[in-house]
Amino acid sequence: MLKIALRGLLARRLRLVLTLAAIVAGVMLVSGTYVFTDTINRSFDRIFSASYAGIDVAVTRPDRPESEFTDSPPLPAALVDRIRGVEGVEAVEGALFDEGTVLGKDGKRINEGGGAPNFITSVSTFEDFSAVEVPEGRLPQRPGEAAIDKATADREGFDVGDPIDVQGAGERETLRIVGVTKVAGVDNFGGATILATTLPEAQRLLGNPGYDEIDVAAEQGLTPEELAARLRPVIGRDGTVRTGDQEADEQTSQIQDDLSFLNTALLAFAGIALFVGGFSIFNTFSITVAQRTREFGLLRTMGASRAQVLRSVLAEGALLGLVGGAVGVGAGILVASGLRELMQAFGFDVPSQGTVVESRTIIVAIVVGLLVTVLASLAPALRATRVSPLAALREDAVIEHRRSRVAPILGGVLLSAGVALMVAGLFFASGETGTLSLLGGGAAAAFLGVALLSPRLVGPLSRMVGFVAGRGLTGRLARENSVRQPGRTAVTAAALMVGVALVAFASIFAGSTGDFIERNIQQSSRSQAVVQNTDGWSPFPHATTRAVAEIDGVAAVTALRFLDVVEPGDEDESTGVVGIDQRTAARTINLTWDRGDDRTWERLRGDTAILSKDEAEDRGVGVGDRITVRTTGDQLLRLEVVGIHDDESVFLGPILVSNDIVKARWGDDDDSTVFVAYRDGADPQPAIDRLLTERFPAAEVLSNDEWVDEQAGQVNQLLGLIYALLSLAVVVSLFGIVNTLYLSITERTRELGLLRAVGTTRKQVKRMIRGEAAIIALIGSVLGLGLGVLLALLVGQAIDGFTITIPVVSLLVVLVLGGLAGVLAAIWPARRAARMDVLQALAYE
Amino acid sequence: MLWGMNIVSTSELRRVYGEGETAVHALRGITTAFPSGQFAAIMGPSGSGKSTLMHLLAGLDRPTAGSVLVDGSELADLDDKALTRLRRDRLGFVFQAFNLVPVLSAEENILLPVTIGGGDVDREWIDRLIDTVGLRDRLRHRPAEMSGGQQQRVAVARALATRPAVIFADEPTGNLDSRTSGEILDLLRRSVDELGQTVVMVTHEPFAAAVADRLLVLADGRIVHDGEAETADGVLDLMKAVA
Repeated sequence: MLKIALRGLLARRLRLVLTLAAIVAGVMLVSGTYVFTDTINRSFDRIFSASYAGIDVAVTRPDRPESEFTDSPPLPAALVDRIRGVEGVEAVEGALFDEGTVLGKDGKRINEGGGAPNFITSVSTFEDFSAVEVPEGRLPQRPGEAAIDKATADREGFDVGDPIDVQGAGERETLRIVGVTKVAGVDNFGGATILATTLPEAQRLLGNPGYDEIDVAAEQGLTPEELAARLRPVIGRDGTVRTGDQEADEQTSQIQDDLSFLNTALLAFAGIALFVGGFSIFNTFSITVAQRTREFGLLRTMGASRAQVLRSVLAEGALLGLVGGAVGVGAGILVASGLRELMQAFGFDVPSQGTVVESRTIIVAIVVGLLVTVLASLAPALRATRVSPLAALREDAVIEHRRSRVAPILGGVLLSAGVALMVAGLFFASGETGTLSLLGGGAAAAFLGVALLSPRLVGPLSRMVGFVAGRGLTGRLARENSVRQPGRTAVTAAALMVGVALVAFASIFAGSTGDFIERNIQQSSRSQAVVQNTDGWSPFPHATTRAVAEIDGVAAVTALRFLDVVEPGDEDESTGVVGIDQRTAARTINLTWDRGDDRTWERLRGDTAILSKDEAEDRGVGVGDRITVRTTGDQLLRLEVVGIHDDESVFLGPILVSNDIVKARWGDDDDSTVFVAYRDGADPQPAIDRLLTERFPAAEVLSNDEWVDEQAGQVNQLLGLIYALLSLAVVVSLFGIVNTLYLSITERTRELGLLRAVGTTRKQVKRMIRGEAAIIALIGSVLGLGLGVLLALLVGQAIDGFTITIPVVSLLVVLVLGGLAGVLAAIWPARRAARMDVLQALAYE
Repeated sequence: MLWGMNIVSTSELRRVYGEGETAVHALRGITTAFPSGQFAAIMGPSGSGKSTLMHLLAGLDRPTAGSVLVDGSELADLDDKALTRLRRDRLGFVFQAFNLVPVLSAEENILLPVTIGGGDVDREWIDRLIDTVGLRDRLRHRPAEMSGGQQQRVAVARALATRPAVIFADEPTGNLDSRTSGEILDLLRRSVDELGQTVVMVTHEPFAAAVADRLLVLADGRIVHDGEAETADGVLDLMKAVA
């Protein structure tokens, strides 16, 4: 029977290729994702291993979980002397490595708008500690000297001797480049810029009198582990002691954790493509099984059992899955570099050198391909077993095409279950992972449900969108043909539905986010402009805010500082704490009060807090009650609630405290977002702009409108990336349309021959096929839009203060594009149908 | 009986399938003509070339050599578009089976050649056709809801819908029982006698050939008999002589 399966596949080479495409696309993205992320991880691993190769023990800032957004306190300078006193220490040196702002020759932040950060670091004077090579010039030795990494130097056109401007914790200043460096043997840190100075110069620039890290070398005969053990009691809670190897691993795994979202997100898109591919495979097998009815009948008359028929079809599926999986793995290796380019194009640069193909990648990809095809071919295979031996003798034998009574019920159940899962995920699940997996599973179930229901919907929907096929006989035939096999049309359309639904969901959501941000600033702000980091989110020195406040025409500035504070007693739960300048808040922020009024701001002094209404309800506290939060050094801080607000904007978190408290208790003196109110009639924006450019280039000033545009721009950039990744699923579903049309045309060969014989022109035949394709595609698009809107409304409900606005025009565009995509998919089948030789077609069996 | 001018004529028509030693000479030089208003039957044993001849006459296949003139047009001069238009406007077809588009009703199938061309429907003519074939109560039915005989009557009506110059019927009774075969042959006969149509029919059934005005017998790619139609018995004798 395996032989029959093989022959069956090879006899239909074209169909084989089309079906393979459906599997390959998804598998390709699975393996591409693994290759891509493995390569990134390997690259980071190599960088860190090289960096710590000569370091026996590294002491780093204490690991403390107080807040994700703030650093632990730096290592005190005196710690170096304490370490030097420990027996067995050969050498010890402090080092700095922190974010700063490096300006290009155009005076703008290098990598502006991109994701890659700028770093300022100290150079080591011990050769063992340094992983830095200096291909050009030398390392900095005096204040005012700097070295820049080779990739940045090449990209920005810096040479030894050039001036280079930086801003650390203070103001903009100019250094001189004395060398170009390569760190850890790689000249690319994924677009990050690394500027190195002497240690004292780095301390001055970064405003850090201590260290980020202290590197220690052991005396001969002492292992790193032994040295680390000796150092631990000396360091105590002031820092974390690891051997060089451990520290390299730690840094690598931290980056891996940070990047794991990338893996998950890309795999999710691969899953979508595979899901859609499954529809296509199911459809192909359904049609081929129907067309091979007589063949199965013949096999049965010759004594093949039902189980053998089943196995033969499943074997065909398995073979297809294996081949698809294997091709997908190969294609994935190519896709990996494409993924990198894609990420780069959307401002997300990561180092990746070489190509890492783990055996896990190959196994997972092939297993996934196999599973999808076998699962998708199961139902058609079962249907093939129902062919009676008599079918071989009847010319017009078809497998009984009864309308399944179970399918709509099952569809309804799946749809309801899917919606229930999504609701559970959105409103009841704890944690992001739970929410996302319930949401994903629910969406998949809902898609399947609609697919099962859709044979019943094909008729009415076809009548609704059928006009696109045009008037006249070709249009009429296109409409009739589209509903001839409702199940086939439904599954073909459902595949496109998935992609369209997700595109619609993403665009509705992105559009609504833009509106949301705009409403936020209109409702919550009394100011005219916002000062923020040029990267859009990092904190910047508070001196910037003070200088802006001095400018003529500026009435008030209010700085916000965002913390994410881990809850006492539960490391996994954290709450947003926002520091605010309470002295000026009433003039820049229009807060909707629940308990209190603008005078309440004045009471936000010392250990007090203003809570959001939800947070107060969650904690069951009111004005006058106290709450407990965790602060730096794992201390607990009790805050008295002095007011409750009912503001749903993005700026103000659940807990508001004064910036003085943030500085005193969390050690954070950098501002994140600064609201700037102008005096009546004044327009100090050009002056602020000048100030920032000349002295504080880490920050930029944006009018409210510009700020909204910028936020919307970021959302759109993400949307672009999502579209790019979803396009794969859409392409797979288009292959499905090609395949279905092709198979339908084959079935209708004699009919097409007849139409041609009685005078239908080739053009008319083409128009007929295109019309049918457009109808199928539009059915899928209409279903997809409906589901996308439903999904968006559902998710929108789960977000406080978020209202979904339906971008009617964009959705209409999606609909039109969906129809056009169908026409595109029809080009080749239409041409094939039109080219058919009339005589042969008439004689076709 | 007096027939009009020639609607279809051929000269030295040849058709060879394949090349070299395996070449099959389906037609070895056919020169003949079919005048308007005539009901001609073409017979011959299988492999005699009768179907090939019809396909060449109808522009469904291209000859290897020789020419076909249909309604004043030399088929070799026509490209696919022009041939299609010729088939649509000037020719009618009745095949052995699978004559109808399954998704269209009987009436839509009858009107098919007219509506494809986007032309105006001559309601009077169509009504007359519908009554002639006796399908007034079946107009809304789809092919699957009709008997084989009814389907074939629809096909005849469709072939007549554009008032073609000539109707080609390829074994029109091949799939029917003798009673319904009689009905179809009668319809074709009446379309010649009452509606003034021209019919060229390929058949292997003597009683079908007996309905025609003229009988052409082919054997081995050549015309071996061309004369007035015979009785069914006469046809049978003739065929025996050929085979």
